[in-house]
Amino acid sequence: MSGSAALGSLGRGLVLPVGLLLTWEVASHSGLVNRQFLPPLEHVGATAWRELASGELLEALAASLRRDLLGFVFGSGAGVLIGLLLGLSTIADRVVMTWFNGLKQIALLAWIPLISLWFGFDEMAKIVFIGLAAAIPVILNLVEGIHATSRKLVEVGDVFRFNRVQFILFVYLPAAMPSLLTGLHLALIYAWLATIGAEYFMAAGPGIGGLIIAGRERFEMDLVMLGILVVGSVGFLVDRGASWLEQRLIPWRAASAQV
Amino acid sequence: MAGFRRISGRVIVAVLRQLTKLGWLLILPAITLPIWIVGTDRGWLPEQILPCPGDVLHTLRDMIASGELAQHAGYSLRRVALGFAIGAAAGLVVGSAMGLSRRVDDYVRPLFTAIAQVPALAWIPLAMLLLGIGEGLKIVVIAKAAFVPVVMNTSAGIANVPRAFVEVGETFRFTPLQMLRHVVLPGAIPPIFTGLRYGLTHAWIALVSVELLASSEGLGYLLVWGRQMFWLDTVLVAMIVIGVIGFLSDRVLAVVETRLQRWRIDGVR
Amino acid sequence: MNVAAQLRTRAFPDQGQGRLEVRNVSKSFVVNGAPVEALRDVSLDVAAGEFVVLLGPSGCGKSTLLRLIAGLEPEFRGSISQDGDAIAGTSLDRGIVFQEPRLFPWATVSQNVALGLKNAPLSERAKREAVAAHIALVGLDGFAQAYPHQLSGGMAQRAAIARGLVNRPRLLLLDEPFGALDALTRARLQVELQRIWAHERITMVLVTHDVDEAVLLGDRVIVLAPRPGRVSRIFAISAPRPRSRTDDDLVRIRNDILRALGDGEEDGSGGTPIGGPA
Repeated sequence: MSGSAALGSLGRGLVLPVGLLLTWEVASHSGLVNRQFLPPLEHVGATAWRELASGELLEALAASLRRDLLGFVFGSGAGVLIGLLLGLSTIADRVVMTWFNGLKQIALLAWIPLISLWFGFDEMAKIVFIGLAAAIPVILNLVEGIHATSRKLVEVGDVFRFNRVQFILFVYLPAAMPSLLTGLHLALIYAWLATIGAEYFMAAGPGIGGLIIAGRERFEMDLVMLGILVVGSVGFLVDRGASWLEQRLIPWRAASAQV
Repeated sequence: MAGFRRISGRVIVAVLRQLTKLGWLLILPAITLPIWIVGTDRGWLPEQILPCPGDVLHTLRDMIASGELAQHAGYSLRRVALGFAIGAAAGLVVGSAMGLSRRVDDYVRPLFTAIAQVPALAWIPLAMLLLGIGEGLKIVVIAKAAFVPVVMNTSAGIANVPRAFVEVGETFRFTPLQMLRHVVLPGAIPPIFTGLRYGLTHAWIALVSVELLASSEGLGYLLVWGRQMFWLDTVLVAMIVIGVIGFLSDRVLAVVETRLQRWRIDGVR
Repeated sequence: MNVAAQLRTRAFPDQGQGRLEVRNVSKSFVVNGAPVEALRDVSLDVAAGEFVVLLGPSGCGKSTLLRLIAGLEPEFRGSISQDGDAIAGTSLDRGIVFQEPRLFPWATVSQNVALGLKNAPLSERAKREAVAAHIALVGLDGFAQAYPHQLSGGMAQRAAIARGLVNRPRLLLLDEPFGALDALTRARLQVELQRIWAHERITMVLVTHDVDEAVLLGDRVIVLAPRPGRVSRIFAISAPRPRSRTDDDLVRIRNDILRALGDGEEDGSGGTPIGGPA
């Protein structure tokens, strides 16, 4: 695509969002729509500034990110261990995998009532829930990656008389690495989603989810919008960062299909 | 005769394989269920942590017999069906337009990406303020959840129909309509179906979220209610039903999808 | 004595000579519940240092026989022994080069070659030297740090040959190693392989369906007939080395072999045509 064509498509892409924002602004100022439902943009901006200046927004964001990260670390750590066990042991796989596949069909948020009954509403419960959200994709992708290891590469290990440890270190783990990274990438996304979910339902302590729920309860539309903006932006940045890392960590990815 | 013997041998092998699979499957419950039963019976596991399996079964049977479960599940299924139908239909229209026309894609893509970036869960409070907590809220949230993956897969599926096939159509001087009918749609149907499958999964997850947050009936509500009353057996029953419905719908669509995929692979050759 | 050979004598002083005996070997597979006979009563002797080619159409079990010798298929009838010892599973005394290079995509060329030495009784230093020596042997100097996806098909197969040789096996098995390469690269690697064999003085068993390749490289060419796989004829080739493709003797033997393969087709086996003259 040439430079001017790229610019043209960028311009077209701006038409709808800008038009929408303008309509919003006009509707809000003209009194056509109740301001409570659609506060003018500058009110949202002012709220954002106020929350930023008071430090409340940053505090909430820091609390959410801390939870997110802790849950991700514990959850994906457990996920790697369980995934290794299920992927490498035929017996564990046969005994557990079908049940695990059934369990994962339960929509994630449906675990919240049970987890809150077991662990209460405080930090512990939230981190357990976020960890659960992070562990599932790691387990699934790691097991799949190990199972998908090319039979042809395994035979090369046979020829060189690899022992069990050598097979894991030099064949299965590297072969499963792209899949594992995909799993960790998904885990980051799910963990962030779970963080918001946990904060909605176990609303104790600061957090972005709590901020949104509080905004809704007090009918502060601008606060809710601000919260949604933050949730979306963090999700976007986490996703982009993970993709970037993934590409750098696997120099051989381009050729992982060929043997 | 030999052929018959070979076939019956194959059947026996298949049956044996299924039986072995079942055997492996039963090992886990054979270990955990006794521990669970004995544990609750002796009071090692307090009722508030895990009710005994008998209680859960009992509650399940009661709720089925009284029609309570069917009523809640009915509410949930109706919401998902309606929300999914609306979201998927809109997604097919928007996704096709984006896939077929570079220009439409240019206009719509950035706004779509921005909306898709924020998960359904985060939209719920906003939607609650705008729409209240009635049926409208649930339908809109579920429709949005289904809309996003359908648009993504439909537009990509149509835009990515291999150039080689399009060229075949061009050599036969196909009209645009013929191109759509004989080249683009057959090539795009498998990815479109994948989008629909994801859409249904997301719709089901969104349903649970929205029912947990704002509802007075449905399976999600059952969870909240059981939680408030500290009725763990009710919570577990609701989780099981949510899991089973999610599993069944995914299974059915997966089977259809494999069919379509097989056909696609044949088509490429 | 060259560096590689010195390394060998130092590391494995009392090693065998690479003699191979295949006695009455039969093998069948179960496909869809029905047994399929892949090899029937195959016997074969390979002398130490000999270059033997197994030639035949697809489905004649030549690759299966090679996999049995490598120890990759544990179940078969009959016996296979190397230097008098019955084989049991794979061994570092037998190297193998597969039709696909099978390089580990996540490892560089030198890491791939070094993988072969994970279980060799050598010091780290000796291993490093052996890896470098074998990369040089196959003419890949300068590509030691390259990843497999950065190599051409021919270079990848060279790396695979280096990996097959790095353990100093007395016997190297090659399963259609040049089958997937273009004609020019194939011709060049055939000459290279001839050089490596002369240099290393080890036993080689090569599986191919290319008659030109067989007569160029083999001391003996063993023609297998398909369904079930069995030895049909053996051709000895005494032409002096290094050989030239246009050598009159080679051309004559090639025609004899093609005729023998043609006879095999007439007895109703309907095998795939052999990759004959261009």
